[in-house]
Amino acid sequence: MPNRLEITLKSNLFDAEGEGIRQKAKNYFGIDLSQVRTIHVVTIDADLSDEQLKKIQTEVFTNPVTQISSFEPLPVEFNWTIWVGYRPGVKDNPGSTAVEAMEDILGIKFGPNEAVYTSKRFCLKGKGLTAEDTDKIAGELLANDIIQQWKIISKEDWDPEVGIGFIIPKVRLDHIPTVITIPIDSDSTLKRISDERNLALNPNDIPIIRKYFLDENVQTARTKVGLSDPTDIELEYISQARSDHCNHNTFRGLFHYHDLATDNLEIVDNLFKTCIETPTLELKKKKSWVVSVLWDNAGVGRFDQDHYYVVTGETHNSPSNMEAYGGAITGIVGIYRDPMGTGKGSKLIMGSYGYCVGHRDYNGHLKPRLHPRRLLDGVIEGVRDGGNKSGIPTPFGQVFFNNGYMGKCLVFVTALGIMPDMVKEEPAEQKDISPGDLVIMSGGRVGKDGIHGVTAASESFSEHTPAGHVQIGDPYTQKKMHDFLLEARDEGLIKFITDNGGGGLSSSIGESAMFSNGCDIQLEKVPLKYEGLDQWEIWISESQERMTVAVRPEDLKRFLELSEKHAVESTVVGTFTDTGKLHITYNGKTCAYIDLDLLSSGFPQWEFDAHWQPPDKRGLFEPVIKEPVDYETLLKDILSRPNICSKEWISRQYDHEVQGTSVIKPLVGVGRDVNSDATVLRPVLDSNKGLAFSQSLMPTYSLIDAYHMTSCTIDEAVRRLLSIGANFEHIGGVDNFCWPNIQYNPGNNPDGRFKAAQLVRSCRALRDICLAYEIPLLSGKDSMYVDGHLPGRYGETHKISALETLQFSATSVIDDITKCITMDSKMPGDLVYVLGITRNELGGSEYYEHFGYIGLNVPKVMPDQFTPVYRALDHAVDKEIVASAHGVYRGGLGVHLSLMAMGGNLGMEVDLAKVPLDNVDRNDTILFSESAGRFIVSIDPQHKELFENIFRELPCTCVGKITEEPDFVVKGIDNKIIISVPVNDLKAAWKKPFKDLC
Amino acid sequence: MSEVNALVLAGYGLNCDHETAYAFELAGAEATRVHINSLINGDVKLEDFQIMVFVGGFSWGDDHGAGVIQAVRFKTNLGEKLQEFIDNGNLVLGICNGFQTLVNLGLLPGFNHDYSTRSVALTFNDCGNFRDDWVNLTVNSASPCIFTKDMDSLELPIRHGEGKFYSDESTIERLLNNNQVAIQYSMPDGKLANGAFPYNPNGSVLDIAGICDPTGRIFGLMPHPEAYNHPTNHPDWTRKKEELKRQGKAFEMSPTIGLRIFQNAVDYIQNS
Repeated sequence: MPNRLEITLKSNLFDAEGEGIRQKAKNYFGIDLSQVRTIHVVTIDADLSDEQLKKIQTEVFTNPVTQISSFEPLPVEFNWTIWVGYRPGVKDNPGSTAVEAMEDILGIKFGPNEAVYTSKRFCLKGKGLTAEDTDKIAGELLANDIIQQWKIISKEDWDPEVGIGFIIPKVRLDHIPTVITIPIDSDSTLKRISDERNLALNPNDIPIIRKYFLDENVQTARTKVGLSDPTDIELEYISQARSDHCNHNTFRGLFHYHDLATDNLEIVDNLFKTCIETPTLELKKKKSWVVSVLWDNAGVGRFDQDHYYVVTGETHNSPSNMEAYGGAITGIVGIYRDPMGTGKGSKLIMGSYGYCVGHRDYNGHLKPRLHPRRLLDGVIEGVRDGGNKSGIPTPFGQVFFNNGYMGKCLVFVTALGIMPDMVKEEPAEQKDISPGDLVIMSGGRVGKDGIHGVTAASESFSEHTPAGHVQIGDPYTQKKMHDFLLEARDEGLIKFITDNGGGGLSSSIGESAMFSNGCDIQLEKVPLKYEGLDQWEIWISESQERMTVAVRPEDLKRFLELSEKHAVESTVVGTFTDTGKLHITYNGKTCAYIDLDLLSSGFPQWEFDAHWQPPDKRGLFEPVIKEPVDYETLLKDILSRPNICSKEWISRQYDHEVQGTSVIKPLVGVGRDVNSDATVLRPVLDSNKGLAFSQSLMPTYSLIDAYHMTSCTIDEAVRRLLSIGANFEHIGGVDNFCWPNIQYNPGNNPDGRFKAAQLVRSCRALRDICLAYEIPLLSGKDSMYVDGHLPGRYGETHKISALETLQFSATSVIDDITKCITMDSKMPGDLVYVLGITRNELGGSEYYEHFGYIGLNVPKVMPDQFTPVYRALDHAVDKEIVASAHGVYRGGLGVHLSLMAMGGNLGMEVDLAKVPLDNVDRNDTILFSESAGRFIVSIDPQHKELFENIFRELPCTCVGKITEEPDFVVKGIDNKIIISVPVNDLKAAWKKPFKDLC
Repeated sequence: MSEVNALVLAGYGLNCDHETAYAFELAGAEATRVHINSLINGDVKLEDFQIMVFVGGFSWGDDHGAGVIQAVRFKTNLGEKLQEFIDNGNLVLGICNGFQTLVNLGLLPGFNHDYSTRSVALTFNDCGNFRDDWVNLTVNSASPCIFTKDMDSLELPIRHGEGKFYSDESTIERLLNNNQVAIQYSMPDGKLANGAFPYNPNGSVLDIAGICDPTGRIFGLMPHPEAYNHPTNHPDWTRKKEELKRQGKAFEMSPTIGLRIFQNAVDYIQNS
């Protein structure tokens, strides 16, 4: 008989969780509640004695100082109560740890049919609270119907004996695993079955797949193992491997690029090869620090004589769009497995985030699944729990609001690791597999979760997208696995390792098997969360927190010993072979037998039409604005814009100093409240070397030209690094593309050809700027379907496509961290310089956006002109004569001079006439143009001569000074003061929009 | 000089083991990271150490109250050994999740040599969220706490969601009377924070950030001294360096005040 324990804080204690809900109900829905109290519910579906129940109640689940609990419903007052629990099969992390604790304290083992389920009950008090209000709070604040179920009960209907009853979300499949053979008598049959089974096979691939299975030799070989037509598991394997997510068909596609202005037609064959691979390999030859790129789960660069660093980044958009918390935590925990699966494995040292969402205060008529505000809350919390509970610092990140992301949000996650350069005298970045090595799955178990995640990520979101691919990452399980694998690595037990992410075992084993050229898998050995999964489901399930490892048979015993010590499950599920075949059996019967080289042979290249029309031909123009008069209010208003203002509430939720490595934090300055340009870690504790990291995204410029969007994004990431003192000679890049669908379709995607041209242009900019700045691309990923169809108010739907977006991450190694600098102004009397030329480049700027314009003159990156400035800044920082440095980014000089002043809580006097200019004669242009290649620097006046000598012949002028008087004073080009405002007022304006969030 | 051996716990979601071991090594100890299971199954013996550290992290995911399951596991499997360890005059340090574990084990407050009663708690921050920030701390010079000996104030990072120190009035009074309140959150000028956010980051009663047992040999604190193991960990170090430069002075790489807590522990063992 199940038992249900309710636990709550003593009534005299403040319920912070309840209070948070009360405030959100008020702020989000205008529902006034006088009180919300939270009750934690632990439902124990196991055969326990009263004595045992009492023991766990008092020793595990109830804190005698702060809590009360009861196996009867707790008499907490309410007008309405809401119960929220997980749906069957959703990962219940607290439920699993409850079992661990109970087994330990009671000295028992839970049987296969016994479990613990956690849920919550919220007791709401409020005058006139209605069922509708309560249901709204339940459905739009507390629960997401994809993963959770809820009940609302009024005070009148509440039975104090029964309470919420016993709700046991146990998975019962009552299903006998079955392999089904799929008929391939015609292309149309296979197409139909692909659609029915959600295989998402590309119609162009279907004839190739059929040809393979109809081949006489293939058929003969298959007959010998008892197979005829393809099985479901085989087609699922092919589908996963051929998906855009795994195979990057778009980037490897053939583009017919037509410049409509010049009528020039070009064929662009394979963007990946021409714009990413070739330039990176060229740079690898020049840069000895580049260790391993373009083949593994993450890129590898040299950190010091004995260590390598590892970096990669990806997105987790589709799941986050449906279940923000689950999607985001799965995303961050998932990206952490990539460095773990790079080379022979690395230790995680850092994560970062980038969120692109609709405006928090959106109140239009479109109805996204989750309101942007709720979505952002969930995403922030997901990355918080995923990062913090993994013990990995999250010291950098960014948020960008634009309603184009309401169709699908973007959740970028980036991970960095570190590894010794050698493991037991073998190069740590290398790995290989020999026939006879064992295939081991370590970590979590397999359930129905995440099935078809990869193929769903390769589709636009629609009402038919299966919800089952949303999961909840489990950082606790993964942290145990991380510690275990590092110990196994250091003992030399790991020959090969890769993670189970998209595509599950199908991808991880399928790709690993290429290294030995074959494998035999016994699928029944895979540990399951519950019985009844079909073979194909086991094979492609994306259940999280799993790695696939190749181990020599003689090392198995030790590997399993260590696994047990760390309380991690590891299971041998097969053997690597050199037969050229992927051979899967289930209880001795073959269910898949495929030639591994099928995937590399004969599948057609994807093709795209790309039509480019330059911005002026598309009707873009510079708006006609006469100069403003009230610059003070204007500056404050720009500082308060959502894409400029402080987002301190997010940074502070993320542990950015675990591991004890923090050198430059996300928030700097006297008040520790202004964003740093970049972050720096000291990943090897007994060394003064630093690893610097920055990120940038500026999708607004895509409204004009994705070429310049891309070049400006890279330039910003580079300047961010240089501003904290990083080394321009060592910069590594990670490109993360998020693009709307580029396949032209007159009905569904009428501007597909334009978006395709934008992609081509973006990739070309990536190539051009990376070559110019000598940035090898250590890693990169693409997510190609950032579109959604949202219902409007009349029952119609609207296709919403995101701006073409590139997130660029940059890394650098710093020889001596004590030479790092921060962006905050340091001393009154310090001289303020602007480096780089300000041009009339307001196109796509925050200033224009403030007035509802786009404009035409988008900022351009000119590496030949910028590079000498960058090297000079490097030199000045190395000489330790720079007191502070800060790049000029979105919002222009007006915003970024203000930020430097705010950082030091000091005043600043600036003369705009002295700013290095090119054809600019207006104060608003100088203040808000977003020209690339610029910095603001402050120095001790005694270094004036030395500093100016370093920048001789370069655009660098002293524009003013830091002042004791805490005012921000700007003199316009006509010699009149146009701004004179206390720096504190600017800071207040900058903090205002989100100041109530914490 | 006798060798000082520090046992630094690891595993099951703990995550500050590397830097805590590093901090002890800087203080001159031999620090060993030990998986909880290695201690339970006897591969590693507690009696080989003089200092034991419950480090920060999320033990067992902290799903049922921070530090609760770790405490249960220790009580069930190592209760007596731990008691012996304490009786032998050794030192126990609990940082963040470790502090939460110590109060759930009842090692703290440890009134009248009772090391098993739970009478204080660390519960959810009043701000309702996990928070990472640096705080000012005032040290109670009258406290018997070994770890904070000869210190008067310091700055350290806090990083937690459940750090609000709570107990009933009589217990708090007893802690005060015994000078077991070793460190308290304070304002930059040294005055107690008096509950003011963010100086008191979590709503702790009486701004309590760390307490010791009556002997001063068991100490738990929410802030992370091991995360201030290098001068560049401090949020103001670039400003400090610039100020020193203007005075013609170099930025010194001397041991941080965070390390003093570890140094005091090592010195105590060496001198006892």
